[in-house]
Parts: sequence; C-alpha cells; structure tokens
Amino acid sequence: MDLNNLTISQIRQSLRQKKFSAVELVNAYLSRIKKIDPKIKAFITVTDSVALATAKKLDQKIKQGKKLGRLAGAVMAVKDIYLTKGIKTTAASQVLKNYIPPYSSTVYRRLIDQDAVLIGKTNTDAFAFGVSTENSGFFTTKNPWNLNIVPGGSSGGSAAALSANLCTFALGTDTGGSIRQPASFCGLSGIKPTYGRNSRYGITAMASSFDCPGAFARHVNDLALLTQVTAGADSHDATTSTTPVPDYPHLLDQTKLKSLKIGLPREYLSTGIDSQVKKLVLQAAATLKKQGASLINISLPSTDLSLAVYYVLVPSEISANMARYDGIRFGSSKKDTKNLLSHYMETRGKYMESELKRRIIIGTYALSAGYYDAYYTKAAKVRTLIKNEFATALTKVDVILAPVSPTPAWPIGEKVNDPLKMYMADVYTCPVNVAGLPSLALPCGFTDKKLPVGFQLIGNYFEETKLFSLGHQFQQLTDYHLKSPSL
Amino acid sequence: MKTTPIIGLEVHLELKTKSKMFCACSAQHFHIDPNTHTCPVCLALPGALPVPNQTALDYCVKLGLALNGRINRHSFFERKNYFYPDLPKGYQISQYQQPLSIGGHIKVGDRTIRINRVHMEEDTAKSIHQGGYVLIDFNRSGVPLVEIVSEPDLISAIEAKKYLNKIQQLVRYLGISDADIEKGSMRCEPTVNLKIQKDGKTYYTPLVEIKNVASLTGVQNAIDYEISRQLKAFRKTGQIKDDVNKTTHGWDADKKVTFLQRHKEGSSDYRYFPEPDIPPITYTQKQIDKIKKTIPELADAKIKKWKALKLSDYDANLLAQDQTLADLFGRTIKDSSGLDFIKGVANLINGPVRKCKNDFPQKSLKITPANLVLAVKAVLSDQISWTTAKENIYQSAKTGQNVIKLIKKKGQFQLSDTTKLEKIIKKVIAGNPKAVEDYKKNSNTIGFLIGQVMRASGGSANPQLVHQLLREQIN
Repeated sequence: MDLNNLTISQIRQSLRQKKFSAVELVNAYLSRIKKIDPKIKAFITVTDSVALATAKKLDQKIKQGKKLGRLAGAVMAVKDIYLTKGIKTTAASQVLKNYIPPYSSTVYRRLIDQDAVLIGKTNTDAFAFGVSTENSGFFTTKNPWNLNIVPGGSSGGSAAALSANLCTFALGTDTGGSIRQPASFCGLSGIKPTYGRNSRYGITAMASSFDCPGAFARHVNDLALLTQVTAGADSHDATTSTTPVPDYPHLLDQTKLKSLKIGLPREYLSTGIDSQVKKLVLQAAATLKKQGASLINISLPSTDLSLAVYYVLVPSEISANMARYDGIRFGSSKKDTKNLLSHYMETRGKYMESELKRRIIIGTYALSAGYYDAYYTKAAKVRTLIKNEFATALTKVDVILAPVSPTPAWPIGEKVNDPLKMYMADVYTCPVNVAGLPSLALPCGFTDKKLPVGFQLIGNYFEETKLFSLGHQFQQLTDYHLKSPSL
Repeated sequence: MKTTPIIGLEVHLELKTKSKMFCACSAQHFHIDPNTHTCPVCLALPGALPVPNQTALDYCVKLGLALNGRINRHSFFERKNYFYPDLPKGYQISQYQQPLSIGGHIKVGDRTIRINRVHMEEDTAKSIHQGGYVLIDFNRSGVPLVEIVSEPDLISAIEAKKYLNKIQQLVRYLGISDADIEKGSMRCEPTVNLKIQKDGKTYYTPLVEIKNVASLTGVQNAIDYEISRQLKAFRKTGQIKDDVNKTTHGWDADKKVTFLQRHKEGSSDYRYFPEPDIPPITYTQKQIDKIKKTIPELADAKIKKWKALKLSDYDANLLAQDQTLADLFGRTIKDSSGLDFIKGVANLINGPVRKCKNDFPQKSLKITPANLVLAVKAVLSDQISWTTAKENIYQSAKTGQNVIKLIKKKGQFQLSDTTKLEKIIKKVIAGNPKAVEDYKKNSNTIGFLIGQVMRASGGSANPQLVHQLLREQIN
C-alpha cells in the first residue's frame, strides 16, 4: 500500500482496521519529505517531533478503542501564516523569522481537534503577498511537475507539498487567488469558501475584507469533509457567518448535472488567455454538458476593473494590517536605534521584504488625505458594482465556470522584475474575492509541456454544497486529479 | 474692545464594562499589575481580530440619547492610523464618518451647550517613563472609550468646568463610567480661541488645543490662562486664525502655564478608512427604545421636581449631585409631605449620610429611608435634637443599626418634662449668679446659661424649652 497517496477517509478507516499505525504513516511521510523536499523546498519547518507525538497519541487512542476524530491520521501541511501555538510561525518573512506564537488559529485548532496531524509549515510569499512564492523571505518553492517552474502562490508551498505527496491535505489562504492558482499550477483541487465561512482568527492578516482560509486536496470529497470541519461561526472573528454549515460530504450527489445551467463569462475566455488553457477549460465545460448541463454565455463587464479595485483596496488594508510589525512587542527588531522614529524606520526597513514595502506604500498613498476619495472610495464603489454583476449573473445561471489563471505556471524568475505582470496572474481569480463568493478550483488537464491546468466553479454565497457536488461528479468523469508528478 | 472666549471641549470617558472593547480581557487597569490583563487581541499579536463589546456600544447609545443626540442606526468603526508604542496595532479603532450619536445638547446653568457627536473607540496602552526607558502597560489597551465632542459654545473657564461637572454627573447617573479625572477615566481637551470686537471689526485669534489637563480645576485654570495669553498675544502681534495656525499646547499644572507642544500643519493625516474586521453596527428603533428605557430620571428633572416642593436651590443641587444620595432622598420622601420634613431629610442626607459616604468610600451605605424618617420625625416632635439626629444617622449609615434604638441606648431622648427641667434650671441659676446678672443687662448672653443647663442634663434637655423656662424663671 502506498501510504503517501491515500484519502482522508481511507486513512481513518485503515487506522481503525489496524492496516498500519499512525506512527508508520507519519514516518512514511517524514521519510518522503526527507527525500523529496530538498528538491521542492515546500516546507519552512518540518514538525517531525510534533507529528510523531501526535501519531503516538493517536495510536494509543486506537489501542484503547476510543472514538477517533473525523480527520484521524490525516497528515497536513499548513501555510506558515497560520499561527500554531508553540510552533514557529514565520509568515515566510524575516519579520517573523523566529516567532513562536502563544496561540493557535481557529481553523488549525478545529482540524487538530479532529485528530489531523501537523507535519510541517509551508512556504509562501512573505505574508502571502504574491503569486509565485518568489516573494518568500527565505527561498522559492519549486513546482513538483517541473522544478524550473513556479508552483504558483501565495500558498505555493502547500500546493507543492501536496502535489509531491508530502501530506494528505494542505491549508492555504486565498485573498486574490492564492489557493486556486497554485492548485491549478500543481494539478490539485482547492476551495476558496465564501468570505466569512472559515474564521480568519490566528492567521496573519493580508487584506481583512478579502482573506479566505481554505484547503487543498486531491479529491473533492476530502475538501468537502475538511470544509465541514473548519467552517462555521467563530466568537473570535466578527466577520464569520452564523449561516449553518451543511453536511457537505453527504451532499455530494445533491446537485444534478441534468438541466444545470452553467455560465461561461465572455470576459474570462476572450483576450489575454493562453490558447491551451482555454481549450482545456472549455473541454471541462463540455464534459459537464455531456451529462446534461447547459452552457450559457454570460457577461461580467466589470471584470477588467476587478484587478484595479483589488490593487487599491488590498494594499490599503495591508498598509494598516502591517503596522503592528514594529519590532516592539514581538518579531525581528533592530537594536540600538537612536530614537523612536529611527527604530520604526530601521526595523521595518531592514526586515520587511520589498513586496511588503511596495504594498504598504501603495496603500498608504491611496488612503492619504486628498487621494482617499479618488482611490479608496471609488474602488469601494466599483466593488459594489462587481458584486452586483455577479449577483445578477447568478440569477440566470446556477454556477459560473471559468479558467483559474490565464496561463499555465511560468519559469522561476521570469516575472520577478515586473510586478504588474505578476499582478495580472490574479485577473480571473481576484474578482471572486472582490465579491466574496465561493469558488472551487479543479484540475482539467495538462499543456503540451506537461504542466497542469485548472478551472474554477464559482457559486453564489454559501453555496459550497453545489460546488462540491459538481466538483465531485466531475472527478467521477475524469482522472486528472489522480495524476502525480514523477519525482 | 469686546472679548468673548470661544471654547469647545473633547471629553474622553472610559466605560465601566467588565471586559475590554474588542476582547474578553478585564477592563480593570487602575492599580493592577502591569500587563496582566492582556491577550493576543489587545497586544495586537499577528492574526488577532477585534470583536466589539455589545454592552459598550449600548452604553454609548445610552449616553447619546441622554445628551439628546440622534442615534445613527447604521454606523461603523474606522481605523485611525498612526504609529506610537502605546498603540499596538498601529491604528486605533474609532469612528469618524458615522459616529453612534449625532448632535444633541446639554443644559449648563441657563445656557444650552450643543453637542456635536458622541462616538465609540478604544483606549491606548499606558506609557510609563522610568529610568530613561519607556515601559508600556497594555492593561489599558483596548479599554472602551467614548468621546463627547461639544460645539464651541462655552464662553468662560468656569462654564467649561460646569459643563464637565454636568457630564460627569450625567455618566454617573447613567451608570456607564466612573468619570474619575484623577484615575484617568475622564479626560478633557479644551480648544480655545477669542472673538475680539474692536473698532467695528471682528477678529478671531488662532485656535489652541490644550492637552494633559488632569483635574477639573486644571481645566478651569488652563482655559483662564489661555484666554489672557491669547489676548496679550493678539495685542502684541494681531495674529488671527487661519487654516494652518492651530496649535497644541500642554498644561503645566505646577507653573500654571500652557506651553506650545506642536504646530498642526493643516490637519493630521490619520488615513481613516472603514475597519474591515468588524461588520457595520446597526440599531433598530426597537433596540434604541429599549436602551432609552434604561435611562434613569436625571439630575435636572430631580432638581426641578424638588424645587417645586420648595426645597432650596442649594439643597436640591447638592442632593442631585450624587445619584445614590438623590435616590435615597427620593425614596425617603416618597410617602410623606410637609416642607419641614423634606428639609429635615435633605439636611440629614447632605450632612451625616454624605459624610459617612465620603469617610468610607469603599463601603456601601447602610442607611435606610425608614431610619431617616424615624430620625426626622423624632426631631420634629421635639424628642431629640438635630445634633443627636445627625450623630446617630451617621452611625446608622455606617452600621445599619436602628436609629431609635441607638438614641435610647445612649439616653439621648430630650428631656421635655417641665418639672424635671425646672429643678435643673434652679440649680444652674443658683450656681451662676454672675451670668444671671449679665443676662439681666444683656439678654443676648442667655446662650451660656442654656449651655449650662444642657450640660447638667447630660445633653438631653430640649433646648427650646430650656430657653423658655430660663426666661420665665429669671424674670
């Protein structure tokens, strides 16, 4: 049995049937990490002792015949912006390179409570500001399908770890596409739930009104289970929703493809899209059509404004969210500065990566007196416009099908000197964050250079059930999600 | 030349909620070990998020209503961005565009002072300068704070002080803040300038905001100082107010002077924007009405009512100042009438009861309306003297003992038995022939003889009766 390629429910069942022990499972992962990760560089911290201790406890539980959590033995890789109590959490930045948090994020805690096993903390662009992991304060992660190619980002470490079978599932966050895009680049499934579905508490904030914690898995049924565990109101996050969490794993057949209306937005499939990507995405649409769904051309005319809205509002929120990193209470701190102002400037100047500074400057500018109305207020208004467009579209169709990224993953280093080109990678994903809608990314094939391509299904608010159901049925009809890179 | 001061006040009040504004930490921070009431939220650790305290919001609405403001049914928090070590997030969560309460007014004496706004925000941590270091105590970080901004309607330092007294009394009545300036739970920043009318022209001197005023008297002194300083400056330089010459002055309470802290280059740029971590705050009319019902009868209404009962202005105001005593008074006179009775109750409450409350601020008063009624009735029926009543009401306020039992135990009921008193008086007359002679020459000296009788009776004689009998006997 290949211990590194099992679903969450397979692991739980096998542990119960004593086909292998949790310690054996964790050791299998740890030895694969040892062998493979030096090539991929997905992990910032491998939490081997924590993982083994958790596994031992779990084996004890099994031995004593105690009730097992719903994720028993599932080995998880966690993006290093999720705070993990007592375990170094760096946000992939020099700012927090030695930071050991005194508390845990809600999503992580809910997973641990169901007996998931933390195997390591994964690389990302520093504080999740980026689309390729090239903005990490430590190193760039490589795409397991081609080591010269970026894995996508910002949750690139998590995607690469799962793609290389170094974990059973992985956690990411999606502010403008940071789960869906690396999922697409690494041949995985990833869920960006409705804004407010998963708690943001204990995750370093990027843009508070956009940030969405979510998960990567190979199989949609694993994502359904994970989302059921993590979702729901959190008394520590005022923006979480009290909308009840459906029993996603048992509703995977609920949405019928027959007579389902799938919207294809013109703006996502015309100019600027790579022809191979377009072909594979339309092929996925055709697969669903064959099962009785109808494809309807729709228009979301403000799509091209999304990126502009995104790059005004997100840096504005970032400029305030990053203010706490002043080296006074925690984090890297410059010693022997001559006064308070020089302390702030030298500490932030020395330890913050350049993309952090860039976005802080953009955001500070946009919020400044005299510019606020022209930038922030205007962007907030266009945001409402974009929301309304989606809302109107979703009265005509049940779900929107679109590409995740206009291109497949690109070579490492290709765009590092052109931030605007980098930002363009979010063009099909960030509108969904601007609106706060849920979206599920799924693999739908490979380019002629053997790079994975994905598409996304966008649903109405809190309609994750529909997305999981469609995604699951798609995976019954295709096998892209079963492919692994050879390493 | 005619000079009119123009004074506006910004008042900050810490609300006395159990927990802080955005986390579950205790809001107590006075005389608490530093940094013991802290958590990831009020220390602004990575990933921590604010969750608003509903009680604090309701208190703020209550205050807005009590100040006759209009409650904003759709308001929201904003971030006020600036760097300082006592501000861990690098921004203060406050309100800017849409405060919880808009407009309003409050009566100060005969004048109506308009209120601009009342909004909700959070306190900063406390910086302590020690041995060349700045130590920061985060116990205060995130304590609920309301800000009341007045219109510049105040025209003298004494009026500003009265306004602050009024605000202090109001929030104590509402039960939402201790409003203790010495403990820092009430802070005020006056903004002062002058309107000068001279030779048919009107001039306005530059605005000055005064900071670091730590007492009510300080506020008054600082404003007075600033008024005369600005007048002198105007005479010397003729400088008038423009868009950029507003300055901030500090108050030096020792030297009793204000000093220039900084020039405001236009207005500071705090880069306010809506707080994305907290959904907008909405209040339905029903919720507002419910809060309105929790507002008790306020001091002004009480004073008006009591003055209608012919209680003096002084007594009514003094009673209304303290809500506990005002309530006690209200309950005691509820079922009785008669001006003498009401005045008597007022005297005992403003006298011994207030003294007991001040002597033992940590303890709760044990006085009951029943004991007050007993004491006043005993005085009015000549059974005891006011002195006896005051002494025993003080004790009863402290211990809760029945006032009549106390007086009985001490044998302090007045001697009104004429036969017994005449015996004592005869002895006193016989023993003090010189005093009797003096009295015959000058009737104003009778006090000495009354005193002798009182002493001989062990203080139990009814002084009025003694006076009458002495006159009869000597004449």
